[in-house]
Amino acid sequence: MRLESGFLWLAIVTLGLCLTTACASPAPEPELLSPSEEQMKLRTMQSRTFDVADRTQAVRAVIAALQDLGFIIERAHESLGLVTAARFAEPRYYDVMGITVTVRPQEGGKMLIRANAIYNNEPVTDPKVYQNFFATLERSLFIGRN
Amino acid sequence: MRTTTRRSEPAALAAIALLASACATPAPPTELLSLSPDAPAHKAMQTRMFETSGETELLSASAAVLQDLGFQISESVLEVGFLRATKERSAREYGQEITRFLVFLLSAAASVLGGSNAATVIPVDLHQQINASLVARPLDANGSRHEVRVLFYRLVWKGDGRSGDQYIAPGDQQMQMIRDSGIYQQFFARLSKAVFLEAHKI
Repeated sequence: MRLESGFLWLAIVTLGLCLTTACASPAPEPELLSPSEEQMKLRTMQSRTFDVADRTQAVRAVIAALQDLGFIIERAHESLGLVTAARFAEPRYYDVMGITVTVRPQEGGKMLIRANAIYNNEPVTDPKVYQNFFATLERSLFIGRN
Repeated sequence: MRTTTRRSEPAALAAIALLASACATPAPPTELLSLSPDAPAHKAMQTRMFETSGETELLSASAAVLQDLGFQISESVLEVGFLRATKERSAREYGQEITRFLVFLLSAAASVLGGSNAATVIPVDLHQQINASLVARPLDANGSRHEVRVLFYRLVWKGDGRSGDQYIAPGDQQMQMIRDSGIYQQFFARLSKAVFLEAHKI
């Protein structure tokens, strides 16, 4: 009899503990929306400034560069300076790569171009990949100018 | 006894390695976003130059050609000379249907002989969506010459199938770039005709 009531108490205490832990939601971290150092690094490697004054010319150069890289242009918005493109890494069609490029005019006739690349739904954080993109873009801007 | 344990060691190691590699997602290769060796060839196939000063006319002629080919224009941005078009078609092919039938016959015969259910129905392509992404852009400062670059690709949806007792659900999707130069030549032949007609208001 004593043994049984002991078990009953144990069960009640366990159930109570379970309930309290279920109710308490973890408190949100205070730095949830503040920029982390990694984000800053990523933004630096994703952005580059070019000596181009005309935004349309820059957007066209971005489109041409993406086409050269085998991307399918999905969306382009001139006044926002926005280009979205995707490609399938042939011949492995299950590897998908997406990219969004924004073109924003800066002071002094310069253009800030930022590229965000995603590989299989994971952000690309390898600086070499962005260097490759900007090298192609530079060529496209240079050829477009002449 | 010793020899068996020694033999099983590499097998166990291989199994562990396989498990470890299955868990790790492959890192994206570093040569991503760099030009592939066949990029110039693709560019040459997908691009044509037109001696025309009217970019709007060039785009509307391109849209007209795509419409003639049965495409629906789904997006257009005049400022950057961008057009996107799609068409839906059946993807059924005789070759695939015949293969499916032969595989079914053979596997059914095998299941009758072997006494097990090995009847296989391989899924075939049912439906396809053909997409075109087209960009026109000026080649010089005064805009007297323009180039048009078009890219065709298709998405194919497979039907259902069966492998023994295992049912294969329909809807498996597959994507394919269209690299047939004949299709691009055909498109550009029509486009140069349309540009000529557009320029002379015929």
